[in-house]
Amino acid sequence: MRCEKDIIYLMHKYLDEALTDEEQRILSNHLQRCEDCQRHFHELKRTDTLASDKSKITTSRSFTDSVMSNIPQNKNRASWLG
Amino acid sequence: METIIKERIKEVKKGNAQAFEDIVSFYQNKVYFICFRMIGNKQEAEDLAQEAFIRAYTNLDSFDERRKFSTWLYRIATNLTIDRIRKKKPDYYLDAEIRGTDGLDMYDQLAMDEALPEEQVENLELRGYIQTEITALPPKYRSVIVLRFLEELSLQEISEVLDMPVGTVKTRIHRGREILRTKLRHV
Repeated sequence: MRCEKDIIYLMHKYLDEALTDEEQRILSNHLQRCEDCQRHFHELKRTDTLASDKSKITTSRSFTDSVMSNIPQNKNRASWLG
Repeated sequence: METIIKERIKEVKKGNAQAFEDIVSFYQNKVYFICFRMIGNKQEAEDLAQEAFIRAYTNLDSFDERRKFSTWLYRIATNLTIDRIRKKKPDYYLDAEIRGTDGLDMYDQLAMDEALPEEQVENLELRGYIQTEITALPPKYRSVIVLRFLEELSLQEISEVLDMPVGTVKTRIHRGREILRTKLRHV
């Protein structure tokens, strides 16, 4: 069990792009002979892919105008800060 | 771009409020992304994002120009959103269906004037589902997961935005990712 926990840690480290060469070797050796870990690793990679959806999340068109009309437009910002 | 932003910040500090407009235009979608992904509701996200810019403007004098502006701005946005989440009544969060629907509404906006092929509809449902699961994460995992997937943020930057050690950021990403894995493994 201890071994599995260490391997899962390496999977996360892989996804953080922080594996050393040695760790990379340990991970891939283990994955070659452990189906459960293969599945776990696959699910983790897929989770990252699903969560990194960067599809055009955009503000409303009036966003900038709205912000600009809500900030003090002239001079003395400092005194407004209080 | 960083150079242009730096110039604009200097101008705003000198008293030219109008120069702030470029800063808002450049960062608005990123700030909105952080707020939306954390809160799961487009109207609230838009309010929070606007509030974040207004706070950035009023506190600009306290921004240290040797540091990265985006990190400072994201920190304001993240703190505001975390505050809002804390103040919310818990029952709001139990209503998963509403959160999911909100996500869909937002994506629907993108495709208003084209009929959606079936494949895309499924895609929208999937996105709504993923958003629901992210919003269902405990806030301490939610913030790191959201920032982690905002493309250009390194673990170091996330640690600066959230003011916590890199080790804590890593641990929370790992735990948050494991929770999400169990929720998303069957979709």
